[in-house]
Amino acid sequence: MIPRITFHLSWLVIAAGVHAATLSLQSPRVTISSSDATQLLSDTLPSIKRPEPLTLGASDILKLTFQVTENGEGKGVQPHQTFLRFYDSVSGEEGIQPVRVTPGGKAKFELNMARPPASLPPTTDRPLAVSLILGSFVHDPAKYDLFDLYVPTSSTPAPHPDEASFHVLPPIVHTFRPEQKLPPKVVSIVFAALVLSPWAILLGLWGKIGLSVPHLVSPRILPFTALLGAFEVLLVRYWVGLKLGQVLLYGGILAIPTIFAGKTALATTGEWRAGKH
Amino acid sequence: MAGPKTAKLSSPPTTTPPETSVAVSMLWESYMQQTPNRLKLIDAFLAFIVLSGVTQFVYCVLVTNFPFNAFLSGFGSSIGQFVLTASLRAQVNPQNRSEFKDVSPERAFADFALGSIVLHFFVFNFLG
Amino acid sequence: MRFLGSALVSFLVLAGKVLTKSSSGDSVLVLLDPSLSRANYSIFFGGLEQQGYDLTFRAPKHASPAIAEYGVPNYSHVILFTPDTKSYAPDVTPQSLVGLLSENTNLLIALSPRQTPLTSLATEFSLILPPPGTPLLSHHPKRPEPANVIPVSVSESPILTPDTNPVWFSGVPHALGNSPYLVPILRAPSESFAADSTDDSGSGTILSASDKGGEGFWAGSHIGLVTGFQTTKNSRAVFAGGVELFSDEYAKKALPSGQRSGNAQFARDVAAWVFQETLTLRIDRTEHHRVNETAAPEMYTINDQIVYTAYISAYDRKTSSWKPYSGITDMQLEFTMLDPHVRIALPPVSGEPGKYEVQFRAPDRHGVFKLVVGWRRKGYSFLHTTTTVPVVPLRHDQYPRFLSAAWPYYAGAISTSVGFFLFSALWLAGDVKGEKKNLKGVKSE
Repeated sequence: MIPRITFHLSWLVIAAGVHAATLSLQSPRVTISSSDATQLLSDTLPSIKRPEPLTLGASDILKLTFQVTENGEGKGVQPHQTFLRFYDSVSGEEGIQPVRVTPGGKAKFELNMARPPASLPPTTDRPLAVSLILGSFVHDPAKYDLFDLYVPTSSTPAPHPDEASFHVLPPIVHTFRPEQKLPPKVVSIVFAALVLSPWAILLGLWGKIGLSVPHLVSPRILPFTALLGAFEVLLVRYWVGLKLGQVLLYGGILAIPTIFAGKTALATTGEWRAGKH
Repeated sequence: MAGPKTAKLSSPPTTTPPETSVAVSMLWESYMQQTPNRLKLIDAFLAFIVLSGVTQFVYCVLVTNFPFNAFLSGFGSSIGQFVLTASLRAQVNPQNRSEFKDVSPERAFADFALGSIVLHFFVFNFLG
Repeated sequence: MRFLGSALVSFLVLAGKVLTKSSSGDSVLVLLDPSLSRANYSIFFGGLEQQGYDLTFRAPKHASPAIAEYGVPNYSHVILFTPDTKSYAPDVTPQSLVGLLSENTNLLIALSPRQTPLTSLATEFSLILPPPGTPLLSHHPKRPEPANVIPVSVSESPILTPDTNPVWFSGVPHALGNSPYLVPILRAPSESFAADSTDDSGSGTILSASDKGGEGFWAGSHIGLVTGFQTTKNSRAVFAGGVELFSDEYAKKALPSGQRSGNAQFARDVAAWVFQETLTLRIDRTEHHRVNETAAPEMYTINDQIVYTAYISAYDRKTSSWKPYSGITDMQLEFTMLDPHVRIALPPVSGEPGKYEVQFRAPDRHGVFKLVVGWRRKGYSFLHTTTTVPVVPLRHDQYPRFLSAAWPYYAGAISTSVGFFLFSALWLAGDVKGEKKNLKGVKSE
């Protein structure tokens, strides 16, 4: 027993004051067992931070036992502060867990991952540095780095609803409707030609009928024909660039002579039909 | 068995086309003889309208209906013109005189012209 | 001439005072508990007066001078150094203090382990205090001072001068709720904890407190000692766990390492932040227009390229003026109609101080959109601006015309028109008499 005490004496981190007695750890031991009580690991902790990290499964139980003694005497003491500190050095998350110590200085701590204590900080895939903090009103304080501990990743707590507005938000890009694809111009030209092709048939058929048009330039007919043509020209011009108002204006102006010309022309053809001429 | 069957099958195709073509040509003959020239003028125009409407429809189906308003205008102009022209034909046909006693051919043409101009106004309005 | 001269002198004196005031005014009301000696805070108060602040002292129980009259605050800032005061004049209640914040008055509040009306006020700000009578203790490091007088190292913060020496702290810690409006300024050392015991037998109480779980245990570096709160109206409040932090005693007290304590510097920095001298930003104006234009249009058309510009300045305490500020690198612009349709970075324009600009394409959705810039970062003034702009669809004559795809349809329409004209011409010119003859001929056949 004596050699072990002196062994542990050497790992006091804090430089002890001359007068106050310092606190030291005796026989710190860590045990990891699975939920069905199978012991996965049982080891005495070394004097400095354990070089190999420990890993804890989702339902494993970690047990840590040690005794706090007064330096040099081996008598167990109950310090005011016996805290385990779990610390993620990257995220800065920290959890402090007080450990129950008997008046004889004996301490036992159990970490059951099936029911993790509230003091365990949110965890990631990084290990937590586990250290022991001892403090007392009468003894010198002490701090021991014990080991690194891998624990299963915890779920992140729900943030405050306004929390998101304090960070850069993911950019949003509007998805535009796809541009209308135009067919190749050749296709449009070919079909335009096809649409115009019935002209050949129309002119051919009219030619074949051999219609006689004796009144084509008759002064009673021609004005009406010309005005009808003028209407069509006006409408095509409307498509090309005139405004609605202009078209209605010009159309209205054009309508008056057209009505008179139409009356004259149709009255004339009526007379012809009746055989008066 | 095989011989007569093939013979039977092969014989109708050689005889039917002449029969149908004869019927068609007879129909054509009687149309050409009995239809007044002025109605033929209308009929040629109707055929022209139908063909140009059909080509536009084919283009719309096969290639693109974009811009759709242009399709509606172009195709609609064909349909509208066909309806107006067909109605003119019905009213000026001497055989229908009994049905359109009150409508003189002149009046029918006036309606046709007015209807056509209004139609074309809408067509060019929406052609885009 | 003499009058002019005296006016000039008074103006200069005024300017000299104005030069050092905060961005929101220089009148400060100090509620000082009678148990606290004003002389013990001479460094802090003297520093403020030297800066140009106009301090008015008042005992918490005195009714005058009033903090606010007819709902309008009389002071730009209020310091409540009344950590142990249980009863106040009727005009000081948690509600009235919250009301001051919403009127853009800033508050610097010192707490203590005693339960006072300020304790419940702190709760409103998402600070969770331990049970009454549990101060912060730390046995680390070993030092001659009692366990409740703790040197706390100052972590880096935009609020504080870099490399501020550790400060002496004595008072009550608080756990921080998850409110993002909290701005931690000073955190407890990881070895410290809140406890009411004075000897080692108290360890059992600590355990039973921690077994309660939740906020039952105040220990470690997650616990705050000095915490700020920035309201959405950009007024600021600071809760300090102990008033001694600001005292001359702690400012002069040497650290265990023998260094000077950082208390004086820390107190000045905290006051500068809470009085809106530092980290104070504002949006001067915003502009928006179509690309290659300069004036804002009445409305945008879908797919327009929009240029949005914001001019931001920061308050410069040295010159007491607003200076263009280009230091924000993570600002974002949103184009929203109910939901954001576009969210893009709004970066500073290099070479033009204070100018932030971005160009984006308006969505092909029409409606009433808002250009929204909202920038909130802990410690800084919140920036927020919205501009409403309608986005309209293309006018009937703005659509592209004469597309090649429509050529067949154009051909069809024109062809019908020309056909109609020729048909009419032929019809009118036709021989009607011949028709009759022809008809008769047909009938006779």
